[in-house]
Amino acid sequence: MAEPQYPEIAINPEAVRQAVNDRMNARLKMWMRICAHCGLCADTCHFYLAKNKDPKMVPAYKAQKLKELVKKKGRVDEKYLQSLYDIAFGECTVCRRCTMYCPFGIDTALIINTIRSILTSQGMAPKGLQDAINNYQETGNQMAISQEDWIETLKWMEEELQEELPGAQIPIDKKGANIMYTVNAREPKFYPQDIQLAAKIFHVVGEDWTLPSKMGWDVTNLAMFAGDFKTAGYLVGLIKEAAEALQVKRVVLTE
Amino acid sequence: MTFIHFVEGPLVWIAFLTFLFGSALRLLLFFALSSKKDKSIYRYFSFKWMMFSIIRWLFPFNLDLKKNPIFSTLGYIFHICILTVPLFYSAHITLWEESRLKWKWWTMPDHWADSMTLIVLAVTLFFIIRRIVLPSVRIITTTTDFFLLVICALPFLTGYLNAHPDGGAYQWLTSVFPIYGRYNTIIHIMSGALMLILIPFTKLSHWILFFVSRSVTGMEFGKRGYTV
Repeated sequence: MAEPQYPEIAINPEAVRQAVNDRMNARLKMWMRICAHCGLCADTCHFYLAKNKDPKMVPAYKAQKLKELVKKKGRVDEKYLQSLYDIAFGECTVCRRCTMYCPFGIDTALIINTIRSILTSQGMAPKGLQDAINNYQETGNQMAISQEDWIETLKWMEEELQEELPGAQIPIDKKGANIMYTVNAREPKFYPQDIQLAAKIFHVVGEDWTLPSKMGWDVTNLAMFAGDFKTAGYLVGLIKEAAEALQVKRVVLTE
Repeated sequence: MTFIHFVEGPLVWIAFLTFLFGSALRLLLFFALSSKKDKSIYRYFSFKWMMFSIIRWLFPFNLDLKKNPIFSTLGYIFHICILTVPLFYSAHITLWEESRLKWKWWTMPDHWADSMTLIVLAVTLFFIIRRIVLPSVRIITTTTDFFLLVICALPFLTGYLNAHPDGGAYQWLTSVFPIYGRYNTIIHIMSGALMLILIPFTKLSHWILFFVSRSVTGMEFGKRGYTV
């Protein structure tokens, strides 16, 4: 038996009920009501096709879990939430292919993401995502890289680059640049050469670009995948703030 | 007032008003809640993508027709028949004409109504069997799904029986249940009223919410450049 990947939690029925109610908007309520259970979404799902047409992989079946959760009014146990966790994080990639084939346009992916959001709010996000969320909240990037380390990495890469291409630069905080470049935080952490390669291209084509020294350079948004919309919005806000502070013309999103 | 008078009079009114006001209330409730909790719909409102999405899926220009041609085609046929027969059947129009409203409009030949009614019954049977046979559909099927299929088919079944009193089916039914022969019209009216009354409270409300749901998804997908 697979061990649960989230830390042990104490279930608070009132908090679960509240988390569900807060997230039930007009669209979700409508979709819970009108789904005709026609099954047209079944063979659009790659999980359904890959798992040898396992009926449990039918998108409408997974989506019905939200209706069930609403009906339970917070009266759930650990085992039940674990089953939701397996579906929402393990059996759906939120790709929206089923939505494209639903005659009503029911957004099953949004329904699954709502279940994810409810689980995350109760401390049941997958450990990897939760760690990233904590890092985002503390440092503005998923790898918890400090501003010092970030600037040092960029300087180091610039030095190496200049050995090969004299005059090439990795401009930090250059006001009024044409482009503000953003990266995946894994790059400075594990693959700093990637930044060097981008800088090389920018140098060769003569692009006027820059990277912010403060928060807002990490373009990944793992909080969104966990349904933590507060943190997800905070991260997008960081990029916007950095771009506005530097008065750049464009932001290049690399993810 | 006898029960028969109640069914022929007030019940029909109750059914139509429940259907109309209930459906209107469904729309109203959606707009009331969405104006607070779904603000993104209004921020990205687009008439173009709304119409595009509705028309594409109201008419057979959509993806499902290629992916599931048989089921999709039967779905269209089912909906066309279930909407047109009650609206254009000559005996129904006669009743509208005799009513205080004195309304009158085009009627379909009776043999059309006959064939289309049989089609509704046959497709309903197909839908029921499909729900039982296909594992992917069985798992999402609830008792209500079967119940509503029967509720929708009953007015057509009773209507067909009553329109053919010389037919074998009617003769058999009245010999087994003589009471049916006495109340055949009342039973038909009640079955229709039941369906109308249930519409706002069940998934049948998709007759109106289809347009809302298609619009919100169509507008978002259109804006993002996805297949609408």
